[in-house]
Parts: sequence; structure tokens; C-alpha cells
Amino acid sequence: MITNLNVINRDRLKSRLRKKRVMGTLGRFGIYIFLLLLALSMLIPFIWMISTSFMDDLEIYSYPPKFIPQKFLWRNYLEAMTILPFKRFFLNSVIISAGAVLGQLLFCSLAAYAFARLRFRWRDKIFALYLSTMMIPGIITLIPAFLIINAFGWMNTYWALITPMVTSVWGIFLLRQFFMTLPRELEDAAKIDGASEFTIYWRIVLPLSKPALATLAIFSFMGSWKDFLWPLIVTNKMEMRPVEVGIAMFHSIYSTNWPYQMAAAVVVMIPIVIVFFMAQRYFIKGITLTGLKG
Amino acid sequence: MLFRSYKKTVFLLLFILSIYIKTEILHAGNSITLRVANWAGAEEVILEKQIAAEFMRMYPEVKVRIEPIPSNYREKILTGIAAGKPPDVLLLDSVIIPALVNKGVLVDLMPYVERYGVDLSIYYPNVLAIALRDSSLYALPKDFTPMVMYYNKRLFDDMGIPYPEDDWTWDDYLEIAKRLTKDRDNDGVIDQFGTAFLNTLYLWQPWVWMMSGDILSPDGTRATGYFNSPETEAALGFLIDLRRKYKVAPHGPALSAVGGTGGMFYTGRIAMIESGHWWLPILKKYIKSGDVDVGVAPLPRPSDGEKVTVMYESGWAVPVGVTHLEWSIKLAVFFSGKKAARIRARSGIAVPAVISVAEEQVTDDPYGLEKVFIKEIPYARMPWGTKVDEFSRVEVIAKDAVDEVMIGGKSIHAAFTEAARFMDQELLKLTRKEKAPAGSLMKSTQIIIFIGISILLVVTIGIVGFILSSRKQRRGILTGYFFIAPSFIHLTIFVFSPVIFALFLSFHQWNIIVPEKPFVGLGNFKALLNDRYFWNALKNTAIFTLNVPVGMAISLLVAIAMNQRIKGVNLLRTLYFLPSVSSFVAISLVWTWLYHPQFGLANYILGFLGLGPFGWLSEPSTALISIMIMTIWMGIGYQMVIFLAGLQGIPEGLYEASRIDGASAWQRFWNITLPLLKPTTFFVLVTSVIASFQVFTSIYVMTEGGPMRSTDVVVYHIYKNAWDYLKMGYASAMAWVLFLIIMAATWIQFKFMGREVE
Repeated sequence: MITNLNVINRDRLKSRLRKKRVMGTLGRFGIYIFLLLLALSMLIPFIWMISTSFMDDLEIYSYPPKFIPQKFLWRNYLEAMTILPFKRFFLNSVIISAGAVLGQLLFCSLAAYAFARLRFRWRDKIFALYLSTMMIPGIITLIPAFLIINAFGWMNTYWALITPMVTSVWGIFLLRQFFMTLPRELEDAAKIDGASEFTIYWRIVLPLSKPALATLAIFSFMGSWKDFLWPLIVTNKMEMRPVEVGIAMFHSIYSTNWPYQMAAAVVVMIPIVIVFFMAQRYFIKGITLTGLKG
Repeated sequence: MLFRSYKKTVFLLLFILSIYIKTEILHAGNSITLRVANWAGAEEVILEKQIAAEFMRMYPEVKVRIEPIPSNYREKILTGIAAGKPPDVLLLDSVIIPALVNKGVLVDLMPYVERYGVDLSIYYPNVLAIALRDSSLYALPKDFTPMVMYYNKRLFDDMGIPYPEDDWTWDDYLEIAKRLTKDRDNDGVIDQFGTAFLNTLYLWQPWVWMMSGDILSPDGTRATGYFNSPETEAALGFLIDLRRKYKVAPHGPALSAVGGTGGMFYTGRIAMIESGHWWLPILKKYIKSGDVDVGVAPLPRPSDGEKVTVMYESGWAVPVGVTHLEWSIKLAVFFSGKKAARIRARSGIAVPAVISVAEEQVTDDPYGLEKVFIKEIPYARMPWGTKVDEFSRVEVIAKDAVDEVMIGGKSIHAAFTEAARFMDQELLKLTRKEKAPAGSLMKSTQIIIFIGISILLVVTIGIVGFILSSRKQRRGILTGYFFIAPSFIHLTIFVFSPVIFALFLSFHQWNIIVPEKPFVGLGNFKALLNDRYFWNALKNTAIFTLNVPVGMAISLLVAIAMNQRIKGVNLLRTLYFLPSVSSFVAISLVWTWLYHPQFGLANYILGFLGLGPFGWLSEPSTALISIMIMTIWMGIGYQMVIFLAGLQGIPEGLYEASRIDGASAWQRFWNITLPLLKPTTFFVLVTSVIASFQVFTSIYVMTEGGPMRSTDVVVYHIYKNAWDYLKMGYASAMAWVLFLIIMAATWIQFKFMGREVE
């Protein structure tokens, strides 16, 4: 009886598995189609942006829309870039991002070290206070922060653009998570040799944390490069504006000339996309390291 | 890879920084620098730079910089003046004149006119008059434009319709528009329209005057009885009916300024469009290349009405308190002189105010289009914006009212009467405000004191903690505080005290350029309750947040698909990620173009599926959804990576076990994947909802809150109030309300999902 039943069950299982394999192949095919269609929908706007950027300003008004321009007009790029001082916009963005990255690497790593490795009164309470600020919407601090910058007389300066960026609670959290995973042995050895906490932080923990620091650097770079509202309100001089604000101004000047706008959009995207390609793995790491433990 | 040697990177960045600082110092060494502010478009900037170069050639010791301010011109100039950093010469347009002239922040140029021997008779008298108050002259005129009707000659020729005469009437106009509205390819959809009607006031203002109606009372203090007078309603009724009744004007694209009508005109889909002289240069370019053939006619007049048009002008002014007064005036004189006018005439954006140059422009015009503009000058009136400060607020209400009739289907009288009431309220507020002197920007010492107290408080708490500790603990405390001090002080200045200070602000009437900042208690919050625009913004924000669950569902689906050990995961992941890393503003531009109602790709692709065409950003019913779609598209990559990491954290053994138990794929998903993914889902949900509540950039770039306020979200509304209307107290109250809503939303999410998560 028992063996019989088993045989029947095994047969059933086999046929089910076979069915599953057929379904599996079909399913896999479906998955690929789905993923490829999605990839296409991600790419099409970019392709269209690039093809429009080379077109004549009347050529774009054709229906059905065209993907390949009659003539590739490189001058769209030249003109779009010279009408507003885009070189200066890029320089500003580089300076702001560099300031933000350096500031965050220092400020965040210091605090993260304290929260991960030191023991002191109210440490966890302070850390909870830090984390709670992640829930505070940026808009509420915007007007007072603007008034502060204004009161300092920092309007239209790099101070205004960089200072608010130099700390990020998210970055502190990221580095703390990483510092916690480092083995304590090295530190203990250094302590026996009489090294101070700062020496341990600077000479041992930081060099061991290059991947995490790189992740933070990438995120703070992207964050400050793409920031829009803050630079919009603390600058009103053309030569102090970063790229993101610059291209928005370009849009308000040239709202109907799509080839120029698309050319400017392409130029603006190129550097940030290159950085992303070079640093992709740090990106993914950053998201998974903090996202999961949320 | 990139940061393998981060020392090198750091050095590189420092190097760039040092080069920059060096060049900056070198520049600062230059003698006199004069800044010229204008709001100008792109071609104009190039020409103004040429004019500046001409001036610098004459006076090598002076450096002139052109500083275009394309948006919020009025506010930027006002705050610049209030902060004591005005531009040395500024372009004055009809909108900013009342704000500056009435408040006496401009230098009276009359005394200098004689000293420098400026001949005022070279200008058209009624153009000069805009900045003339009694015997004081506050600006030297640059140029102007009356409003005219452009028409596509080829469409007229095709139908054998004669071109409009100088004295054509509204009936003629309607008749021609009807004849030129056609279904060219016989597919049952009208694809060629006789004309277009846009809801913006600057276009329909002269039509109202032609019917002897008006928008405000002669003294500019009241709208009721004027905006809702039978004459005004008749004029706008005629225009609205072009779209609603006669259907000779297109519906969707005309609503927005995304360039819809321009493109339709070039391609022969709209026959007649009202516009100013600024359109002529680009049209001339297309006429030259043979793409279109264009004629210009004066605006038609009603058969029993008078002939009127409106004239928008601009001129150069010098604000009080500039560092180099003499030079600034010299520059202003030069910028409005004959030589400058000639250089500017090359672009032909407007009609020069210098009579002789304007006449040269007419004789040099091979197409004979310029003369119409000159002929209109005697009939041109000064627009309301030139007389009433912050008239733009009235303008917005008028625009909404027209939309309510045209799209909302309201009766014209009801909509206009209500709008007139709103206008009266705004005007009353404005006259009250007028009494406040144009003080200088207060160095807001209050906030510095506030921050000082906050830092002191933090330090005191630290010291108390230190004292309360045992001796053994103290060493730890000192090192701990040393490490967290920089970030803690930073957070105190930029997060903790601002949150509190925002609350303080919300109890005040806080205008950055008015010295008195009275305490109003809960007044701002009470006003919020009755602010229909704020409620509208809240509603839009709530709707917008619905993009989060949809986007998360798609991202989860993608993550599950990606988790099936398929080939090319890395490439796909990069592709999906691309939108979320590239520039937000640039992406918004691309999608605005993608969503173009006539020539955009979105309608074309959906056309294959038999869907659309949609108006996308130009229709109030679809604009917000369009932005939500883009937001979802941008977020998929980011959310997918988080979900994928979450999925990979689920032990394979669980699936094996359930498979043996005979659970179906759906059951596995429902009973294993979802519950175990809960922390990830929760994280994505909370962060995305917070981000959604604060959407700004896409709205700012793509729709500016329109059409009909259908995309006016809270943060955009706060931005407008704080930096356009300079009502920072009121805006802070809004920010606090939003803050509380976000807190409540987060709390609810914790309550329903988070309990097991933490």
C-alpha cells in the first residue's frame, strides 16, 4: 500500500515538474520580453532627446516624429552652450560638489566613528536624534536657512551653496553601519601602543573604509550636483548658478526652441552619467547598505 | 575604481579649486564694473553684450557685465535693491515700473538729460511717457511693441481669401477663421484651425478695450463693475466662443505656453495668431528659408467699437544707491541711444523707441511687415501692469476665470463676478501694503540671535552631561563630543533651530523687504483655512502621492523578474537606473518635449495602440498624471535595486520547502516573498511618500503649477509665496502644516506596517 501510494505520488510529481519546465521556458521568455520592453521605454526618451538635439528648429515640427535628422547640426550644441555661460555653470557645480563631498567625508566619518566605536553618555539618544532628522522634510528648514544665509551676507557666494551640504545624516548612518563591521583587533593593538582615538580613526579606521567612503563620496556628489531648489533661491547672479539651475533658466529663455534645449540637456547629462558608470558598484552598495536596515 | 586612490582625487579637486580662486582674485582687480540687469531672451543677450562691448571700447576703464534674469525679474530686482546690491543699470518693463517708480527707488534722470545733452525728441513721445512722472524721468526708453495679428499667407491663398484689411472687423475675423478651419485629411478630426485663443491677459486686454470695457476702475482700485461689466464679458465671450462655440481655435495646446501654437502656425495648422513684435525675427528667418509666408495685420475691431491696441514697452533705469552713479547714467544713456538701438535692430525683437531707427527698420524690411507696427502706435494704450503694482496677481485671477468658462463650462457672468470679487480682495491687500515704506533689507539679526541661543543651549546641555557624569565617564564624553561636535553644530544651525524658527516665522507677517514684521498669532493658519489655492495644492499633492504605490508595484515586479537568474542583469540594471541618476531638470525638459500635444513622441507611440491624442501637460485633467508617469519612470531603477537586494536576502531554502509542499507560484509570492520583504517595502514606502510630498523640480520646470493650477503642489505653492510674493511668514505656516501632514502620514505607516518591522 505504502509503496504504491509513493509511486503514484512520484508520477504525479514528475508530470507536474514536466509541466513546470514547459511553463518555465514560456515564463522565462515572457520575463525577457517584459524586461526588454521596459529597457526600451527607459532608452527611448534619451534617444529622442539626442536626435532632437541635432535637428533644425522647424524640422522638429513634423508628423510623424522623426528619429534621424536630415542633417546633424552640431551648431545647436555650440550655440546652446555659448548663449548662457555653461562653462561657468559647470565650474560652479564642480566646486559645490567638491566642497560637499570633502565636507561630508570629514564630518560624517567623525560622527559615524563616535557612534560606531566610542562609548559615551547619551550616545544612543543623540544617534536617535540624528536619525529622526531624516524624517524632517527639507521644505520646513528652507525659509529659515535662506534667512540665515541672508543674515550672514552670503547670498550669491559659494559659502551659501556649500555650507548647508557638508553634513548628511544619511552619510553618518552609512558610515556607522560600515564601521561596525570592522574588526576591533587592530584598534585594540593600537590602543595598547598608546594611540589616541583620533589616531585610530585617522590611521586605521579611515584607510580600512575606502569603499564606504567612496560610496558616500558618490552619493554626496550626486546629491549636491542635482540639488535644485536651494541654489535656485540663494543665487540670483548668473555666474553663481550651478548647472541644474542654469539649464532651467535656459528653458525659460528658450521655451520653444527644442533642439537647443535638448542639446543643453545632453551636455548637462553627460558628466553625471559618466560618473555614474564609473562608480556604479558603489552606488548599488550604498543603496543596499542603508536601504535594508532602514 | 574611480576612488581607488582618493588622495589623488582630493588633490585634483583642491587644485581645481585653487585655480578658480586665483582667477577670481585676478578678476576682482579690475577697476570699475557695471552690472546691467535685463530679463532678456537669448538672442537679445548676445546683442546687449555687443552694445556693452561698444561702450567698453569707448571707455576702456569700465567693465560692463550683462546679467539676464529670465524668471521672477520683478522680485529679484526688488530684493537686490532692498539688500543694497542693485544692478547699476536695469531694464524696466511695464510690470516692474509701478513697483519701482512709485516707491522712489529710481534716480530721476531729468537733471542729467540736460547735463549730458540727451535729445529726448528722438523718441516716440508715448513710449517716452511710460516712465515720465510729472517732470521726472525714471527711464530712457529702449523699445516697445503693440499687439498685432499674424497670418499665414499660404492658407489664405489656398482658399482664395483676400488678406485682412487695415480696418477689418471682428465679424470679418470670425468669418475668415471659420473658412480656414478644415479637416485636411478627411479623417473626421479638424487639423487646421482658423485662429488660436490663449487665456493670458496681455493678449486679450486690447480686445476688452475695443468694446469699451475694462479690467479695473480708472484709478486701479476696484474690479467689480469693470471686469464683470457687460462690455468686458462681451469681448471675452467673443474670444472664448472662438474655441467653445465656433471651434475655430484649437483646444488643448493653446492652454499652455509649451510652444504649441508656434509650432502649429509654422506648419500651417493655425492660420492667424495674435502676438507682439518679438515673434517677428524668428518668423522672418522662416520666411527667408521659404518655410512659411507670413503677413501682419492690425487687430480687428468690433464694427461699432473703437480701434485700440496695447503697447508693451521697456526702458533703461538707474536705481538709487549705485556705487558709480555718473557711470551708470552714462551707460543707461548709451544703452538707449541711437547706436545701441541700431545694434539691437539687427535682431528686431521689438520696435526701437528711437524714431529714426524704427523708420530705418521699416525701410530695411524686405517683407513689408514692420510698417504695420508703426501705424499702430497712435492707437496704443498703456497696459494695466504699468500702472498697478503686482498687477500679475490680478492677471492670474483673470486667467483662472477665463479657464473656468472655457474649460470648466461655467457661465461667463458667474465666473467673472466671482473673479472680480477676488481681484478686489487682492487690490485691497496691495493698497494696504503700499503704505509700508520701501525700507532696506533688515539684516535679520533675530535669526542670528536665535541660532546663537540654540548653540549655547546645546553646549550647556553638553556641559551639564559632563558634570553629571562620574570621573571615569568623563574622558569618554570628551572624546565622544569632540567627534560629533562638527556635525552636531551643523545640524543645530541648519536643521534644529530652523524647524523652530519656521514656527516662529509662521506666527508673523514676514515680508523680507518690509522692515515691520508684525506678530499675527494664529492669523496665518486661520488664513490658510480659507485659502482655496492652498487646499487645491494639498489636494494635488495627495493625488500626486498616489504615484508611490503604483511605482512600487512596478518596481517589485521588475525586481522579481530580475531575480530569476536571467542573463544581462547588470546591463539591464544600469539602463533602469539611468533616469534616476541623470539630471532631474534635463529629464523634465525631455519629457516636456515628449509630451508635446502635436509633435511629441508620447502621442505618436500611443497612436499605434489606438489611444489618444492626449493634451498631456496642456490639459488640467491630464497634467498631474503626466508628471506622475514621469516620476514613476524615474524612480523604477532606484526602487528596483532596493527590492532586488531585499529579495536576495530571502533564503532560497524557504522556497524549496514550500515547493515541495506544493505551493503555487502565487502562494509562494503571497506567503513568503511579501511578508519577508516587508522591511524593504516599508523603507521604500516611507521614503518615497516623504519625497512625493515634497515634489518641486519637475513642477517648476514643466508646468509652473498650471494649467488652471492643476499641478500646483504644496512645495511649489510655498516657493511661490515665499520667493515670488515674499510672504515668508505665511509660507512658513504652510511648511509647518505640510510637516505635520508628513509626520502623520509616516506615523500611520508605522502603525499599520511598521510594528513588526522595527
